[in-house]
Amino acid sequence: MTGPHVEGRAWLFGGDLNTDVIHPPEYFSLNPTRVRAGLFKKYDPTIQPALRPGDVLVGGSNFGCGSSRETSIRSLLLNGIGAILAVDFARIFFRNATNSGLPCLTFAAPEERHKIVAGTLITVDLDAAAVRIPGSGPIGLTPPDAFIRDIWAAGGLLNTLQARGDEEGPRAGA
Amino acid sequence: MSAALTLSDKIIAAHAIDPPSDDGSPFRRVRVDAVLGHDATIALLIDEFDRRELAIWDPSRVLFTNDHFSPPSTVEAAEISNAFRAFARRHGVNVMLDRGICHQLLVEHQLCRPGALIVGADSHTTTGGALGACATGMGSTDVLYTLATGTTWLRRPETIRVRFVGTLPAGCSGRDVVLSLLSCLGESGAQYRTLEFLDHAEPRLRQHDRFAISNMAVELGAKFGLFVPDEITLQYCTQRDGRPPEDMTLPDPDATYAQEIEFDLTSLAPLIARPWTPGNVVPISALQRQAITVAFLGSCSNGRLEDLRDAAEEVAGRTVHPDVRFIVIPASQAIFSEALRAGYVQTLVDAGAVVNQSSCGPCGGIDKGVLGATDVCVSTSNRNFRGRMGHWDSRTYLAGARTVARAALLGYLGPDLFEEQTL
Repeated sequence: MTGPHVEGRAWLFGGDLNTDVIHPPEYFSLNPTRVRAGLFKKYDPTIQPALRPGDVLVGGSNFGCGSSRETSIRSLLLNGIGAILAVDFARIFFRNATNSGLPCLTFAAPEERHKIVAGTLITVDLDAAAVRIPGSGPIGLTPPDAFIRDIWAAGGLLNTLQARGDEEGPRAGA
Repeated sequence: MSAALTLSDKIIAAHAIDPPSDDGSPFRRVRVDAVLGHDATIALLIDEFDRRELAIWDPSRVLFTNDHFSPPSTVEAAEISNAFRAFARRHGVNVMLDRGICHQLLVEHQLCRPGALIVGADSHTTTGGALGACATGMGSTDVLYTLATGTTWLRRPETIRVRFVGTLPAGCSGRDVVLSLLSCLGESGAQYRTLEFLDHAEPRLRQHDRFAISNMAVELGAKFGLFVPDEITLQYCTQRDGRPPEDMTLPDPDATYAQEIEFDLTSLAPLIARPWTPGNVVPISALQRQAITVAFLGSCSNGRLEDLRDAAEEVAGRTVHPDVRFIVIPASQAIFSEALRAGYVQTLVDAGAVVNQSSCGPCGGIDKGVLGATDVCVSTSNRNFRGRMGHWDSRTYLAGARTVARAALLGYLGPDLFEEQTL
């Protein structure tokens, strides 16, 4: 469930973080325990065991480029990641996360991401599109389109599905 | 707002469910013409699909292939493959079992045609753009939604127009064209955008070169890698379907583009992407000498008949270096059959290559041919991200078929790879 706020510790990453690094292919599985364990396993094996529910990933540009394999999103959700903030997102990753109700937001001013200190507790205010950090004013995020917020509010794309046989499909937008 | 539309604007508008919204939202709901899926990614949605008691909106528009675990090499992979096939059977969808890679099978199928809108459960679905189709990859949740409804949501992409002029040099292929685009635009250079390719080269790029370019459009972040349909498209579709395509949708001549690039192919030279990103491109001539242990000729990017032919030409009458494992995987069984008839397979095997049956193979690091820690691979596949093809410390270079074949013979990559006296 996505509330209007996400509160957790910040984990910082660079640009072009690809899905093979986020979740190595050898952890592709239908077994949730294995999918959960694979997160960042090769990049830095100390990250996954240290994650706590609500933690926030902060990245550079082109976050999540690469494969469409949704195990990367599943692993993030299984590890309780509450939101991802980046300069921008690779499109399939953005869709997959949005469809799963995992908020992906971009910085209104990309350089402001450097104000976020690794490991500090931050609060992502989804309605105000802002991040609150200790010892400084809020950092602005780009307000997400109503279409995207509706998917979050439903708890993911599949919860917008109407009765079977609706060939027009459900209305995801207001 | 201008009424003049780019090619993807037109195709999206032709598939839109609702009229454009008053608030200027770039998001549209659209109908799709076809859905592509394979064993690995469809397996992820089976439980959810069945739990919700959903039905597939039109099984005749669904292409399922078993290509990632093909045939399975572990018990878990076999269970995934079997679950996928049972799901398809329950829902009345035919599975193309071990017939080749989904993206090649898509472009061999008449559902992939100019003007079509296609969603695939794999990022390299952009390959279909080489036939003028808005084809793009999505994740399992998106694909589940589309299987159930025949619809999806799209954000209207801006378009970068790339106009090819000049002549592609004989030793180059579509791979070099797309590596060159990666080199100048970068890994996110076409992010969320359509790459619209207008081919004014003389002669025109061949269809297999176009497939390689559209396939790797996603490596630049593109949503679509769309060739404006022309006589090459017409010829390919007519030969495939026994009749010309009904729709040859073209962009408006006065459409507005986010960026326009004129790409003169004449000065192109063979390129290579070094570890660990497809955007890390240099000319072969700028390489340091580097011993290799694996050469891989295959994948949805460059496992086509012409790639096998180019490689066969390079290795004919020669022997693969004893320290190199040279793996060849034709992208589909149809290609495999043609390569057998043409003698390319014989030539490759005589030189010392091992030919596996049509599948994704080691490209995604989950099937036969994966790399160990000390392996250095040169590959015609499309991604060399760290750890993708196997061990985290393994290293993969991406290049065209001739480069892979010559490196397999020499046992190394180096600036002298294409010099006459090297072999």
